[in-house]
Amino acid sequence: MTMWLPLLGLILGVSLGLLSDIQIPQIYSNYLSIAVLAALDTLFGGIRAHLQQIYDDKVFISGFFFNIALAAGLAFLGVHLGVDLYLAAVFAFGVRLFQNIAVIRRVLLSKWSERSKVSETKVQE
Amino acid sequence: MNKAINWKFTVVLLLIGFMIAVQYNTMEYPETRDTRDIWAIRQELAEEKKLHSELLSEIRDLDNTISSYQSLSEASAGKALNDTVDKLRRKAGTTDITGPGIVIEVRPSAESIAYGIPITSISSDLLTRFVNDVNRFKGIDMEIDGKRYTVMSSIRVINGSTSVNGLNVSTPPFKIKIISPTMSESEKLYNYLLASSIHDDFYLDNLVLDINQPVKDLMIHGWPEKFENLYLEEQTKGE
Repeated sequence: MTMWLPLLGLILGVSLGLLSDIQIPQIYSNYLSIAVLAALDTLFGGIRAHLQQIYDDKVFISGFFFNIALAAGLAFLGVHLGVDLYLAAVFAFGVRLFQNIAVIRRVLLSKWSERSKVSETKVQE
Repeated sequence: MNKAINWKFTVVLLLIGFMIAVQYNTMEYPETRDTRDIWAIRQELAEEKKLHSELLSEIRDLDNTISSYQSLSEASAGKALNDTVDKLRRKAGTTDITGPGIVIEVRPSAESIAYGIPITSISSDLLTRFVNDVNRFKGIDMEIDGKRYTVMSSIRVINGSTSVNGLNVSTPPFKIKIISPTMSESEKLYNYLLASSIHDDFYLDNLVLDINQPVKDLMIHGWPEKFENLYLEEQTKGE
């Protein structure tokens, strides 16, 4: 049941954002999109770490904020240097996102197969 | 998952959800900037005010009709109804009208006569343009070459010649009569037409508009044809 609390948080956040009708200026939307990507990357990294039992509070929370700030900073620098540096951030976070999700999938799959084996053995007994 | 981790995930997810929603908002409904300056806004306001006053005068007219119905006794209710019908007939253009108005003569230009250019019938586009130009004045009644022009009239080309209400407009010269509600409005129309750029459009077609001074009593004929009533039915008096 405790799984529902984070989900509730997500729903609450989305509805809060939609209902408050906040809009940011078009020129800053790049920063926000990259920040969203960084946040998602950290989130899936956190879930993966939790499943692999190497989860650390400090790493998770600091990673969350630091990654967002770094991504936005990189995008900012890119705009002022005339190089699309935010693409680098998109690439890095995108690749990591896929890797993290792949690892999560593998871990969940192995857990699920273990569980079905256990239940089979129980049935045989 | 223990409780402390759960809370942190919840907060992080809340933030992520909020960010995604804001991003979605920004992408989906971009803020449209109001680029009108003060004069554009004033103009729009003026248009709305005009509409407002038109609606108000319409309401006043209808109120008058209602009060005349109410003040009349039962016996003369028929008279009130007849008045309304007359008013509607006048509006529809089926009655002869007399009033202050101007006579405009359309004739071939002197140059086209001198050069011997054959005189053709006025083009329907030009006639429509003229009617549109004149129709910016409210409450006018018009007759083009003896054909009453009403809201239901049509200007069309039938077998190569321009027609109003299905009847051919003769080749120039012919007359257009316009009656206005008051003499002053007739003068306004006269002055407007004198300075209008519609003369240039006529001149390109080798035609000249002669606009005569407003006269007090101008008569134009009603539309002779009957209306066909396709949709309304007589209602028998309530049981």
